[in-house]
Amino acid sequence: MSDMPITPPVDRIDYRRRQKIGRIVQRLVILISAILLTAYVLAPVSWLVSSAFQTETEIVSIPPHWIPEHPTLRNFEAIFTAGNDEPVTYETRSGTDPAAGDFIPSTAENLLPSMANSLIVATLVVILNLLVGVPAAYAIAKIRFWGRNASVYFILITRVIPDIALVVPFFLVIRKLGMLDTLGSLVITYLAITVPFTVFILIQYFEGLPDELDKAARVDGCSRFQALIKVFLPLSMPSLVAVVLFTFLTSWNEFLLALMFTQTSASQTLPILLASFTSDFTVSFSFLNAAGVLAVVPPVIVAIVFERYIVSGLTAGAVKG
Amino acid sequence: MARIRFTNVNKKYANGFHAVRDLNLDIEDREFIVLLGPSGCGKSTTLNMIAGLEEVSDGELIFDEQVVNYVPPHKRDVAMVFQSYALYPHKTVYDNIGFGLKMRNASKEVIDERVRDAAQKLEISHLLDRRPSQLSGGQRQRVALGRAMVRDPSVFLMDEPLSNLDAALRISMRAEIKELHRTMETTFVYVTHDQAEALTLADRIVVMNDGVVQQIGTPDDIYERPSNTFVASFLGSPPINYFDGALEAGPDGEMAFIRDGLRLLLPADYAARLKEKMGRVVRLGIRAEDVVEGTAEPGINALSGTVTSVLPVGSDQYLGMDFGGEELFFRVGKDLRHAFGEKITLAVDLSRLHIFDRESGQSLIWNAA
Ligand SMILES: Nc1ncnc2c1ncn2[C@@H]1O[C@H](COP(=O)(O)OP(=O)(O)O)[C@@H](O)[C@H]1O
Ligand SMILES: [Mg+2]
Repeated sequence: MSDMPITPPVDRIDYRRRQKIGRIVQRLVILISAILLTAYVLAPVSWLVSSAFQTETEIVSIPPHWIPEHPTLRNFEAIFTAGNDEPVTYETRSGTDPAAGDFIPSTAENLLPSMANSLIVATLVVILNLLVGVPAAYAIAKIRFWGRNASVYFILITRVIPDIALVVPFFLVIRKLGMLDTLGSLVITYLAITVPFTVFILIQYFEGLPDELDKAARVDGCSRFQALIKVFLPLSMPSLVAVVLFTFLTSWNEFLLALMFTQTSASQTLPILLASFTSDFTVSFSFLNAAGVLAVVPPVIVAIVFERYIVSGLTAGAVKG
Repeated sequence: MARIRFTNVNKKYANGFHAVRDLNLDIEDREFIVLLGPSGCGKSTTLNMIAGLEEVSDGELIFDEQVVNYVPPHKRDVAMVFQSYALYPHKTVYDNIGFGLKMRNASKEVIDERVRDAAQKLEISHLLDRRPSQLSGGQRQRVALGRAMVRDPSVFLMDEPLSNLDAALRISMRAEIKELHRTMETTFVYVTHDQAEALTLADRIVVMNDGVVQQIGTPDDIYERPSNTFVASFLGSPPINYFDGALEAGPDGEMAFIRDGLRLLLPADYAARLKEKMGRVVRLGIRAEDVVEGTAEPGINALSGTVTSVLPVGSDQYLGMDFGGEELFFRVGKDLRHAFGEKITLAVDLSRLHIFDRESGQSLIWNAA
């Protein structure tokens, strides 16, 4: 026994092959999941876009046409001519397609003005958010003052209360201020909703920037304000973009408060108007979907424009190395 | 060009932490002052108060004749180099160096001339278009120096500027910083926890511990005449050795430090200063290098014991020695090879002994003067 050579057991498992197969399986799983997820997210949007180019008849056909068989721009024409001297009416629109039952909502002519309202409100909310949020976040992140933590918690606690609970108090305040049915009422209340998030996001980011950068700037001759503008802001682009997108989308999509405070086309925003299209006796899906497509365009443009500024690794090289 | 004076300055942070206590310090114009002490002792806090980055809680900080307690940093003519360098990541090296001048509304021509001049002195001219992320640690360090240099400030502050560099670079940069001080002819305040840096660079060293100044003096004062055991221990490597013993009258009436197996006869000037402590137990300090090998007989003016460790360090060797149950460390030449367990006798340089009060740790020799 003792003089028998000790040989290791023959390794019959081909680990290299196993690893290869494992890798392929892994990739397949990721790919399939990705495709499913993408389809899930994009399906409603694709249908929105596709149906905006379909006639009412085609929209309700079974099975649905994902690609319009007879693409038409009539829905958009109807939107852009609504309220003009020669109004698009039930007759003019359905003339070519008598069986379709096409219908123009009674508030159709308010669509473009409400879009303008939405844009004005969202833009103001974004700008004011930055004007208020950036200095507030810088102060909290980089200046040690008495009550600093308390103020962070206070700011966040305002967001623990659900919006629906705030509607009545907001309404009373806005009415007392005589601001009902004005864009101002929306700007003010949207700020109350978004500024805490803005400050919170920016605090996180500013705290991540080294204190010594702030000190260096101030020794180099910057006041606090100049340090913020000349050193912190250029480095904060990614978080500023996040803030811009977040606040723009929040105010663009907001429904509840806008429903409460607005009554006429003077202040109605797009979500309110889109919703009103469904409250007529008849619903025009084609028109509604075309309006929906238009409603998606500005946020998409904002996202595309600002996405370019999300540059990662911007702060690399600030400290030692 | 500025003279900086602290009178009874205290710093308490918002959380109540008392970081600097009763600081009194007079920094001469064009002096090179080094604040030395262990991490957390309040060096950076002191430096930040000079820069205006931290408020003085109590006392007065005076530049020349002006109290500057409430002057913001951008209105003080100070430049600062940070441990982490704190370069602006979004600016090129050129713009990093020129930023301070730009903020002070210097003309484009002046900025260009000064930036290029500084870059040339620091040998970073070829890097001016790069961003900090594209530089090595040493290069970033130079950019940080350049940024402070071009300003030609009246006070130049440095907070552990070399501690992120590798050993070789650190030593060559010491020389450059010293040269910088010579050419800039301005007041330097330099913070470090590295005793060697402090000893090489300083005109005067301020040793701090726990927010309290332990001693202020020239490198020689600090090293040769430490005023307490903290200062004595903080400088020197291997660190100073301590053991306790009694002061008694020797055979010829002179004063001696006695401990079992050891009798050190103290010089006359020591004896004069220690008169009042006769018969009392004191703490003796012997620096690692203040011994000589071989010649002495055991017992009188010499330490004997067995070798517990031998650590050659190139030029010298460190010897660990068991001396009546205590381990002492000495630095000796490397001519004699010692072996573990060998019995040796080292003669003590009597003129360089340090004697401290056992309770307070205060020097009984140097504080008396
Ligand atoms: N902003 C602060 N708030 C509270 N304590 C601080 C603050 N900054 C520093 N300290 C404390 O003050 C002491 C001295 O800090 P510092 O001056 O940075 O020491 P160092 O000598 O290492 O540079 C440390 O114990 C540190 O924890
Ligand atoms: Mg420090």
